[in-house]
Amino acid sequence: MNNRYAIRFGKDGYIKYTSHLDLLRMFKRAFKKTGLALCYSQGFNPHPKMGFAQPLSLGYSSRCEIIEFETRMPHTTGEIMEKMRSEMPPGINLISCIELDEKIKSLAADTVAASYKIWIPTNQTEEALKNALKTYMEKEEIVALKRQKKTKKMEPVNIKNMIRKIEIAKVGPFAMINAVLDCGSKSNCSPELIISSFCLHCNINSPRYEVEIERTELFFVNNLQF
Amino acid sequence: MDYKLDKLLKRVEKPGRYIGGEINSVIKNPKDMDVNFCFAFPDLYEIGMSYLGMQILYNVLNKKNNIYCQRVFAPAPDMEDLMRNESIPLLTLETKTPITETDFIGFTLQYEMSYTTILNMLDLGNIPLYSKERGNDYPVIAAGGPCAYNPEPLADFIDLFVIGDGEEALPALLEKYAECKKANMNKQDFLKEACKMEGIYVPSFYEPEYNPDGTIKKICKLYDGAPHPVKRAIVSDIESADFPVNPIVPIIEAVHDRAVVETFRGCTRGCRFCQAGIIYRPVRERSKENVLRLAKSQLVNTGHDELSLLSLSTSDYSCFEELAEELICYTKKENVSLSLPSLRIDKFAFDVLSKIQEYKKSGLTYAPEAGTQRLRDVINKGVTDYDIFNSIEQAIILGWKHIKLYFMIGLPTETYEDLDGIADIAGRIIDMNYKINGPKGGRFNVTVSVSNFVPKADTPFQWESQNTADEFDKKHNYLAKKLKIKGVTFNYHDNKTSAYEAVFARGDRRTGRLLYEAFKAGARLDGWTEHFRSDAWERAFDLSGIQADFYTVRKRSFREVLPWDVIDCGVSKKYLINEAKKALEEKTTQDCRFGCTGCGMNRYVKCAMDGILEVNASGKGALKDE
Repeated sequence: MNNRYAIRFGKDGYIKYTSHLDLLRMFKRAFKKTGLALCYSQGFNPHPKMGFAQPLSLGYSSRCEIIEFETRMPHTTGEIMEKMRSEMPPGINLISCIELDEKIKSLAADTVAASYKIWIPTNQTEEALKNALKTYMEKEEIVALKRQKKTKKMEPVNIKNMIRKIEIAKVGPFAMINAVLDCGSKSNCSPELIISSFCLHCNINSPRYEVEIERTELFFVNNLQF
Repeated sequence: MDYKLDKLLKRVEKPGRYIGGEINSVIKNPKDMDVNFCFAFPDLYEIGMSYLGMQILYNVLNKKNNIYCQRVFAPAPDMEDLMRNESIPLLTLETKTPITETDFIGFTLQYEMSYTTILNMLDLGNIPLYSKERGNDYPVIAAGGPCAYNPEPLADFIDLFVIGDGEEALPALLEKYAECKKANMNKQDFLKEACKMEGIYVPSFYEPEYNPDGTIKKICKLYDGAPHPVKRAIVSDIESADFPVNPIVPIIEAVHDRAVVETFRGCTRGCRFCQAGIIYRPVRERSKENVLRLAKSQLVNTGHDELSLLSLSTSDYSCFEELAEELICYTKKENVSLSLPSLRIDKFAFDVLSKIQEYKKSGLTYAPEAGTQRLRDVINKGVTDYDIFNSIEQAIILGWKHIKLYFMIGLPTETYEDLDGIADIAGRIIDMNYKINGPKGGRFNVTVSVSNFVPKADTPFQWESQNTADEFDKKHNYLAKKLKIKGVTFNYHDNKTSAYEAVFARGDRRTGRLLYEAFKAGARLDGWTEHFRSDAWERAFDLSGIQADFYTVRKRSFREVLPWDVIDCGVSKKYLINEAKKALEEKTTQDCRFGCTGCGMNRYVKCAMDGILEVNASGKGALKDE
C-alpha cells in the first residue's frame, strides 16, 4: 500500500487571493488538525509529503485544484473528505478524493493541459469578437510577451502551438473566452499571454484588474479523471 | 463578493490582508446583535494578527450572543490610495461592513508611532477625527492597551479609554452600552455611565489647566461624577480568566504564526526603564495544568506547528522547569516546534535549548541593556558581568555561532565610560570565542543592537531627560568607531522616531494638535522605515507650534503635575519617586519575589508572588519551602 491520495477542490470568492504557498500551509494545518498523519520527507528539514498538481495564480478562481498527498496509514476516501471538509475556510470547496495508483509518479509531472474561462469587459459585439478570434488564430505566429524567469526581461514567445482549443462568446458586458492551454513542465501557456495578445489583437483596452479568470479543468497524461 | 472591492484586490500587494475568512474567525449577523464592536489594530494585518491581546478580546466578546466583535487593520499605502480613489471606506474583515456602521470601535495602543495611523483609519472610515465633531450617529471611539496609560495625546480624538486588563472590563463596558442603547440614551449619557466603571477614562470630562511655563497647573473635572484618578482595571484571578483555545489562524503569513499561551502577566524584577514591568503588576500566574491544557487545545484547534509561551520573563514562571520539560516532550511527539522567548540564560536554559534544535540557528540573544555594572545598577537590571560572560562562555562551548546583544543608550547618568563598556563586552566575547575555538573556529559573530532610551509614563524614569538628537548622534558615532571589531555588527535605531515617540510617551493634551497636523501632512505607518515621512513631521511641528524639547529633553520635578496623573496605574507615585532617587544613588531594589518592595499594588489586589523566593546556598533564588 502506498496510501497516496488526491483531493480535487474549488477556489471561489475572496479566498482566490490566497497564494500557492499560503494555501499549502493552510492544508498542512488542516491535515494536522484532522489527525490524518502525513508521511514526512527524510532529512534535516522534514516536510510533509503533499503538493498541488499545478500552482494557480493569485486572483484566479478555480473548479479543479488538486492536492496530492501521502498518509502514514490507509484511510477511505470518504473519511478523508469528511474530515478535511470541516477544516476548510469559506471558498475552498472539496469536490472529490481519489486514491492514486502506484503507477502515477506525481500529478504535477503528469499534467499536460488546463482549461480556463476568461471574462474580459468590452462593448464589442459577439460577431466582432468571433471574427477577431478567427483572425487571431489564423495568424502564422501568435506572439505574446513573457517574462523570462532568469533574466526577468520581457521576451516575445510564439504561443500558437500551446493553444489546444479556444472559443469566444459575449456574455452580458463580457467577452467570455473558453480556452484549453498547455500546462505543465513540458509546455506551459499562462492565460495572461492569451489575454494580453488577444486584447492587443482586437483593441480591447479593459485594464487587467477588470478581467476575471477561472480555471475549469486540469488534463493529465493517460486521461486520468477526477 | 463585493465587486468594487474585488477589483481593488486585484491591484494591490498581498490582497490576502483584506479578505478575512480565516479558520476560527467568527461570522454572525450584525443585524441580530445588541452591540457591533470593531477591534481596530492601527498597523498592517501581518503585525496585528500576531498580537495575542486581540485574540483574547475577540474570544471573550464573540462568546457573547448579543455582541459581535469584528476586526479591522490599517491598509497598506497602495490599498489606501485605491480606497480613496474609488471611495471605498474602511471595512471590517468579517462581513465587509463599513466601520462607521458599527456601534463601537476599539483601537489598541501598542506603540506611540501608530497614533497617526489611528487618525488615518478614522478618516478612511469617513469618521470625523475629533470627538466633539462626532454626533450620536457615529460609533463610540475607544482605545486601550499599554500606551493608554498616558492617554492625553489622543484625548481629543478618543471618546473613552479602557485602562488596564481588557478581558473583563471590555465585555462589561459593551454590556453597559447595550443597556444604554436599549434605553435610548445618547452618547453623552452613555459616557457618564461608563466613566463610573473600573478602568474607564472619558477625557472630555476633564480639562487640564496650564502654568505660564507650559507645565500643568491642575486637572479640572468637567463632570462631577467622573473619578479622579481613574483606577486601572485589574483581572485579579487570571487562572479563571477566559483565554482563547480557538485563535484565528491567518491565511497569509503573519509575523508570528503560532499557538501562544500567556503563562503569567506582570513582572517582579523592577527594571527602572520598563513600563510593562510596572503597569502589568502584580504577577499573576496561570497554573501549569492550565497552561498545558491551553497549549494542547490551541494546537489541536489550529493545526499550528509552532508553540510559544508569552510573558515578560519566561523563566520567572514558578514551575518553569517542569512546564518546559513537559512541553518539550509533548511538542516533539506532535512535530511542533517550541519557542521560548526572553529566557534567562542559565544552566537549565542550556539544557532546554539543547533539546530544541532550532535555537542554535537563530543565535543566542542577551540583553544586558547597559555596558557597565554601575549603569546596570542605576536601571536596576539585575545582571552582573559574571552572569553575562559565564552564560556566553557556556553558549560558545556548546557551539553557538551567533550572539545578539541588546543595549539602550541615553539612559539617565550615562557617560562615555558606559559606552566603552558596551564595546568592551562585545570585544571580550570575540576574544572568548577565539580562546575556545581557536583561530580556525569558523564563522562567529556578535551583533550589538542599540536602541535609544525613551522615558515612559509610570516608570521611575518618567521625570528624566531624554538625550537630544545630537547627543544620540554623537553616541552612535562613538560606538560605531569603538565597535569596529572583526566579527561585530553594530545596529542602531533612528533618532527622529525616538524623539517623536518620546513626545507622545509623555505628551499632554496639546500634543494632539501635532498628531493631527502630522496626519494631515501625510504621516502614517510611522513605525515602518519605508513609510516614515520626516518631512510630514517637520511640517507638523511647525504648524502645531509644539516644541519637542519641552517633552523630551526637559527634566521634570517630582512636584510637577504629570499629564497622566489622572490615571492610577496601581503602583504608587511615592514608590516611583523613591526608585528614581535610588537610581541616582546607584542602589538596586530586589526582585519582589524575595520580599515586598512596597510598590503599593497590594492596596488593590493580592500579590501572590510576594516573597515566595529565598536566596539559597549558591546565591540564587529558590522557592521557599512552605
